[in-house]
Amino acid sequence: MALTGRAALLAALGAVVAWLVPGWQGIALVTMPVVLLVLLDLALAAPVRPLRLERSGATSVRQGEEAHVGLTVANPSGRPLRAEVRDAWPPSSWAPGTSYEASRHALTVPSGERRRLTTVLAPTRRGERRAEVVAVRSHGPLGFAARQGRHRVPWSVRVLPPFPARKHLPAKLARLRELDGRTSVLIRGEGTEFDSLRPYVAGDDVRSIDWRATARQSEVTIRTWRPERDRHLLLVLDTGRTAAGRVGDIPRLDASMDAALLLTALASRAGDRVDLLAHDRTTRASVRGHSGRDVLPAVTRALTPLEPRLVETDPRSLVAAALAAAPRRSLVVLFTSLDSSVLEDGLLPVLPRLVQRHNVVVASVADPGVEEMAAGRGTVTAVYGAAAAARHSAERHRAAELLRRLGAVVVDAAPDRLPPALADAYLSLKAAGKL
Amino acid sequence: MTAAATAVSPDARALWRGGRGPLLGVVLVLLAGLALAVLRSGDGGALRHDSPTPEGALALTTLLAEEGVTTTPVGTAARAGRELGPETTLLVAFPNAVPPSRLTDLRREAARAGARLVLVSPGEEAVSRVAPGVALAGEAELRDREPGCEDPTARRAGSATLGGRVLDLSAADDAAACYGEGPLATVAVLGATDGPDGTRAETVLLGSPEFLTNDALADDGNAALATGLLGSRADLLWYVPDGSEPPPEQDEQSLFDLAGDNWRWAAGQLAIAVLLAAVWRMRRLGPAVPERLPVRIRAAETTEGRARLYHRAGARGRAADALRESARAHLAPLVGVRSGADVAELVRAVGDRTGRPAAEVTALLAGPEPTDDPALIALADDLDALRNQVAQHPGTTAAPTAVSPEHPPAAPGRPPAPPKKDTP
Repeated sequence: MALTGRAALLAALGAVVAWLVPGWQGIALVTMPVVLLVLLDLALAAPVRPLRLERSGATSVRQGEEAHVGLTVANPSGRPLRAEVRDAWPPSSWAPGTSYEASRHALTVPSGERRRLTTVLAPTRRGERRAEVVAVRSHGPLGFAARQGRHRVPWSVRVLPPFPARKHLPAKLARLRELDGRTSVLIRGEGTEFDSLRPYVAGDDVRSIDWRATARQSEVTIRTWRPERDRHLLLVLDTGRTAAGRVGDIPRLDASMDAALLLTALASRAGDRVDLLAHDRTTRASVRGHSGRDVLPAVTRALTPLEPRLVETDPRSLVAAALAAAPRRSLVVLFTSLDSSVLEDGLLPVLPRLVQRHNVVVASVADPGVEEMAAGRGTVTAVYGAAAAARHSAERHRAAELLRRLGAVVVDAAPDRLPPALADAYLSLKAAGKL
Repeated sequence: MTAAATAVSPDARALWRGGRGPLLGVVLVLLAGLALAVLRSGDGGALRHDSPTPEGALALTTLLAEEGVTTTPVGTAARAGRELGPETTLLVAFPNAVPPSRLTDLRREAARAGARLVLVSPGEEAVSRVAPGVALAGEAELRDREPGCEDPTARRAGSATLGGRVLDLSAADDAAACYGEGPLATVAVLGATDGPDGTRAETVLLGSPEFLTNDALADDGNAALATGLLGSRADLLWYVPDGSEPPPEQDEQSLFDLAGDNWRWAAGQLAIAVLLAAVWRMRRLGPAVPERLPVRIRAAETTEGRARLYHRAGARGRAADALRESARAHLAPLVGVRSGADVAELVRAVGDRTGRPAAEVTALLAGPEPTDDPALIALADDLDALRNQVAQHPGTTAAPTAVSPEHPPAAPGRPPAPPKKDTP
């Protein structure tokens, strides 16, 4: 049950009656009608309990876009339903400050009919959003009181990672096509495969001229090469406590995901197989055996519910899981942090096992805030901050140096620069035929 | 009909089923409270003239009645004031519960009528109203005490159970300080002076009510002291405020008093309206939905923490080392020295490039610890200036000579940018 402002207003106006008829009689003269009207209204309002609610609509949405979730309300009772409906979802389903308006609907359903209303979600965080409850306040015809009740109509919407690095994809694909031999600029490198012979065009590498074929034919002929295909990529995301670090507005893990998605998109177009592993102490997510067009959706789905955990990553089991997931020589891209303490105690001793069998790229999200600190001058606090930032950067460089000495490729960049930098690293490895 | 099962709010039957347990509990608690109240109803009779409980005073009033003293209970100060006379003792059992202005009135009445005023355990305010010269001096433990004063009643009674509030009589004239030490008393007999019509107005302050109670009346000289203090006149007025008296009227009247009945009832009706409005506004449409927030820590937090530690510890040496190391790492590739090379080599190369004397560059890049914070700030600025200067003088012919021949530019590890491109 719920009252409305009208009941309070009528009671307030009744003060005039109470003034004219002082005493309990006056109070009763006002309050009795108010109570009667409220009871009458409650009796006449459509019941909430027998309403039949059903959901339909979107089940997944990319973060930053809108999802339309329908709610069908059927009123089987003999009275028309004049209701206020709140479709309650977790607060992050809408932009801050807009959740009140976005979750509430005014609804009128005549007796025996059904109406559909649409809740527009604009989730601000990645992950799975579950519909909590639908609260219905059914007003009586007089507008003095309302019946109120809840229905639980389960529905969930997957909020996919935003993937802002998509914008880099065309440029990287263009570079990939250059490698691929589909453009006239051909690259000759060790490990690339012989593709076909074709006539020489100005601009081709003269080293590619096949003199034997040229002698047989009347024109200069060159061999074309194409980069290797059907290589295997394993993306390993460290979801331990270092991934929870917030750089700018997003956690390291989300920045890593962005880069992982770009790499997945690129590698699947390049004809390579991409597997994914998310691990801290145990495996949190795993994508294996998808190929072609299925890979990107599968990886996106796997990444969606992933959150960093406040545990120390177990590098031994991480490497073991990576080795198990990559039986033959692969490119293992390890998304982790270059924090020296974590690295030296954990990863460095076990990394050689991985490097022996695979090509390893270590991708790490650097913090632009530290660079800002390093440029601080003028005040004592700023200079101490600059000193601490310089020390931090030196440690990172040293850690990166150690990794490079082991034979890994290190990509350390700010969140917005990491995806293209990693894509470039992949492309140059591919161009060099090192996969 | 599966959709109908979505309703989760309880219906009337579920409400009754879920609520009857707590309801039963509430009813039980109320019943138990009622039963206890009935059983222990006689217990509240502390210092009542007709109460037989240990804290009551029925024994005392009975004793007084045997001696011919009539005890009259009064519930209001007005009535007490009216009944005061020269042959009257007024016992104020709870002076701290009586409004101070009313105590002043009672004292005036008593002095006028020549009555005797007895206050049991008065507080600061009550003492100042009734006996202006007397001060309170803390608390004393309750035990058998000797009279130690010239008051005949006390001397006759001998030792009695006293303690509680201690009264300081050093500033009071004509006062007997009994059952205490020196001017500190737990029974004070004051102002036994002749009134205007020859009667005597006395004020007695008692530190504790213990010796008047049924429980302790039989001990020591308690009964003699009590009957002596309260039975010296033929009538005893036993004043316990019954709460029927309105608080004393001050000079101003409240708006509510001035307003007529109509307005009061109208205000009452408005209050009901406010209540309804509150009910209207407080009803929420559905529950608050919780959000499972992910863990998010600012990544730069450890670096900032380290900066604060440096600052607090005044670690200028470490801070300067870090800044210099960073500057050296930055300068080395610019002047074509491999990273990790000797500092002297770097100093020579930088000196050649910038034209600065070697001593100055050495002091900057590998000098002693700054002596104070301004020196550290200056060091940071100087290092910046050096870096800018080197960056603005791109590789001249001087640069290759700075690279010693035994260190070829193609060093292992990260290759520094060797200035090999344009030899004229």
